[in-house]
Amino acid sequence: MNGIIQNIFVFSSLTIAVVFLVRKFVWTPKKKTTKTCGSNDCGCH
Amino acid sequence: MTLAELKRGQNAIITDVSSKKIPLKLLEMGCLPGNSVELVQVAPFSDPMYLNINGTHLAIRKETAIHILIETNDA
Amino acid sequence: MPKQINVALIGNPNTGKTSVFNALTGLNQKVGNYPGITVEKKEGVCKLPRGVKAHIIDLPGTYSLNASSLDESVVIELLLNKNDKDYPDVAVVITDVENLKRNLLIYTQIKDLEIPTILVINMSDRMAYKGISLDIEKLEAQLDTKIALISTRKKQGVDNLKDLISNYQNLSIEPCLSTQDIDIDYFKGLKKAFPNQSLYKLWLVITQDVNFGKISRNTIKDTSSFKTKKDSDLKRLQQKETIKRYQFINNVLKEGQTIDLKTAKDLRIKLDRILTHKVWGYLIFGIILLTIFQAIYDWSSVPMDFIDNAFASLSDWTKNTLPAGAFTNLLAEGIISGLGGIVIFIPQIAFLFLFIAVLEESGYMSRVVFLMDRIMRRFGLSGKSVVPLISGTACAIPAIMATRNIESWKERLITILVTPFTTCSARLPVYLIIISLVIPEGRFFGLSYQALTLMLLYLIGFGAAVGSAWILNKILKIKSRKFFVVEMPNYKLPLFKNVALTVLEKTKSFIFGAGKIILAISIVLWFLASYGPGTEFNNAEEIVTEQYASNNLSQIELEQKIASHKLEHSFIGIAGHAIEPAIRPLGYDWKIGIAIVSSFAAREVFVGTLATIYSVGSDQEATIKNRMAAEVNPILGGPLFNLASGISLLLFYAFAMQCMSTLAIVKRETNSWKWPILQLTIMTAIAYIVALIAYQFLK
Repeated sequence: MNGIIQNIFVFSSLTIAVVFLVRKFVWTPKKKTTKTCGSNDCGCH
Repeated sequence: MTLAELKRGQNAIITDVSSKKIPLKLLEMGCLPGNSVELVQVAPFSDPMYLNINGTHLAIRKETAIHILIETNDA
Repeated sequence: MPKQINVALIGNPNTGKTSVFNALTGLNQKVGNYPGITVEKKEGVCKLPRGVKAHIIDLPGTYSLNASSLDESVVIELLLNKNDKDYPDVAVVITDVENLKRNLLIYTQIKDLEIPTILVINMSDRMAYKGISLDIEKLEAQLDTKIALISTRKKQGVDNLKDLISNYQNLSIEPCLSTQDIDIDYFKGLKKAFPNQSLYKLWLVITQDVNFGKISRNTIKDTSSFKTKKDSDLKRLQQKETIKRYQFINNVLKEGQTIDLKTAKDLRIKLDRILTHKVWGYLIFGIILLTIFQAIYDWSSVPMDFIDNAFASLSDWTKNTLPAGAFTNLLAEGIISGLGGIVIFIPQIAFLFLFIAVLEESGYMSRVVFLMDRIMRRFGLSGKSVVPLISGTACAIPAIMATRNIESWKERLITILVTPFTTCSARLPVYLIIISLVIPEGRFFGLSYQALTLMLLYLIGFGAAVGSAWILNKILKIKSRKFFVVEMPNYKLPLFKNVALTVLEKTKSFIFGAGKIILAISIVLWFLASYGPGTEFNNAEEIVTEQYASNNLSQIELEQKIASHKLEHSFIGIAGHAIEPAIRPLGYDWKIGIAIVSSFAAREVFVGTLATIYSVGSDQEATIKNRMAAEVNPILGGPLFNLASGISLLLFYAFAMQCMSTLAIVKRETNSWKWPILQLTIMTAIAYIVALIAYQFLK
C-alpha cells in the first residue's frame, strides 16, 4: 500500500516537472500585446 | 575649429552642431550652440574625450567631436 | 477620490531615481517585465497620509521623451496610453540638484502632456557643498508646480513628497511650452486635421514613428490641410523643440538658481585625475578586478562548503527517517540534492552583484567605460561592452540585457554574441569541484594553484570573448550608425539600502528563475536514472546475484553491484552509453556524458546531475566531491577525474554554450533565431575541439 502511494507521488512530481520544462523551453505561451501608439485614435485619448 | 582639436583643460563655446551627424540625444544632454565646453580628460590617443558641456559631464568619441564646431575664448 | 493612485517616477539616469523609489516603497516592491519585452518593470506600494495608497512605478531612466531605445519607449508608451492600467494619476520627475538644467528638459516634456507633475530636486544635501542656492518659491511659480527638495542620503524631504503626491489634484496641468511655436504652419495644419487632440501628444506620436521604423504611421495621414514632413525635416524640428525647451529652462533658472563657483569644491576633479589617468586609471581598474575575483573565490568558499555538507546530511536524514519507498528516494536523491545545487550558488551570486552594484552606484563604472572604449573598439566592441562583460561573470542574461545602451547596432550585436564566453557564476560550481579534484594543493608565490587555475579560466573566458569579437568584427558586414556618448556622473558613496536591495533582488530572481528549472531537471533525471526498460534493469537483482554467486560478496557489496547494474541499464544509462563514443576521445565516461547532455539546459545542472547519478549508484554517506574522487575509469583504470580529463572538462565548460535561458534572451534581443543558433553551433564546436586537443595532449 505504502509502495503504491509513493509511486503515485513520484509520477505526479515527474509530470509537474516535465510540464514545467516543456512550457519553459519548447512551447512558450505567447502573450504579445502590441501597444503601438499608432492605432485607434492614436492611443492618446 | 572643431571640438576634436580642443586641448585638455581648455575652454570654448560651441558655435555650430552639424545636425545631420549628431544624434538628438547629444543635443538633449546640452550640446547646443552657445553653450560652454571644457575638455576635462582624454583617454590614450585622445579618444574618447571627457567633456564638461555646460555643467554636464559626458564622454564622446573623437569621430563625433569633429562634427561640433567651437570657438576658444582667447581666439 | 480613488483609494489607490498611480504614481510614475520619471527622470534622467543618475539622478537617484532608484533611491527615491526605494525610500518610498522600501521592501514593498517587486521587479517584473513589461509584457512581451525584457525591459525591467519595477513597481511598489507606498502608504500616503490620510489613508491613501499609492502604486508607484519606477520607469526606466531616460533623458527625454524622444525615445531611442526599447527601455525609453516604455516610458512614452505608458504616458501616451490613458487606457493603460498603470497610466499615472500623477508623475514625479526626479532631478539632481547639480544637473538641474539638463534634468528639467524631461520635466517640461512631461508637463506638456498635461499630466499633474511634481518636481523632485534630489541630493539637496550637496547644495552647500556645490555653492548652489535655489529660490524654491520662484521656481515653483515659473515651473507651475510643487517642488519637493529631498535628500535620500540624509532621509530628508520624503514625507513632504508623500504629502505632495496625496494632494496631486491641486496641481496645475498647464503645459510649459506652446507646441505650436515650434513651427507655426506645420502645427496649424496638424490641429486642423486632428482638432480634438493635444498637439504635443500628436507630435510625440509622429516623432516616435521616426525613431521606431517598426511602428506604422497609419493614423497620421495627409489631409487637405496637413502634409506630413520628411524624416530629416522632422529631426530638424525636434532639434528646434529641444533648443526652445532649453531657452525656457534657462530663463527659469536665471531667476531661481544661483551658483557660487568659488565655494564649489570639486572632489570629482581630484578623483578623475587619478581614476581616469592614462597609467594609474588602468592599474587601479586591474587591481579592482583582481580583488573582486579573489574575494568571490575566498569569501564564498566557507558558506559553500557548509551548504554542501548540510544538504548531504539532510538527504541522509530524510532517507533514514521517512518510510522507505520510491518517493522517499526521489526526495532524498532527486529533490534535496537538486535544491542543494541551487542554494550553493547564493554566496557567489550575492558577492558578485554586491561588487557590481557598488561600482555602478559609485559612478566608477562610467570611468571604466571611458578608459576601455578605445581598446574595446579595436575588437569591434564599445567601451560600454565592459559592463556586460563584467556582469557576464555573474550571469549572461542580465549582461546581455545591459547591452541596450550601446548605440551602435554592430557593436551591440558583437557584444551580445561574445558575452556568453565570460565565466558566468553557473560555470563556477563545475570549475570549483573539478579544480578541487584534479589540481594539486600547494602555493606559488603565496597564491594557491587552485586559485590560479580559476583565475586562468576567467582569463580564458575574457580572451575567448575578445578574440571572437575581433573575428566577428572582421566578418560581419553590418552598416550601423557609429555613435557613443556616456554620461560621467558625479562620484557618490553607494547607499547601503540601494546596494542591499539590488543584491537581494538579483539573488532572488536567480533562485526562483533558474532554480525552478534546475529542480525540475533534477526530478526528471532522478526518474530516468531510477527506472529503465527491459529485463536487464527489472531483473537486476537476480542477474547480479547469479553473476557473483561464487564470489562470496558481503550484503553491502552485493547491493552496490546491483545498484550500479541498475543505473547502467536505466533510461539515462542507455542514453549515456549511446553518446559515449562521441565523448570518449575527450576523456569522459558515460556518466559525465549524461551530465554534459543534461547541462545543455543550464550549466549548473552538471554538478547536480553527477550528485544525482552518484547518489543513485551508492548508499554511503559522502559529499559529491568524495563520490566523484572515488570514481574509477572503467577502461584505463585509475581515477576517472585525473588531470587530463579534468582540464578537458574545464575547457569544455569554458567554451560551450550551455544555457537555454541565454539563447532565449539572445533570440529576444536580436529578434531572430539566426544569432542564437549560430552561437550555439560555433561555441559547442570550439568547446569540443579544444577539449579534444587538451585531453589527447595531456593523456
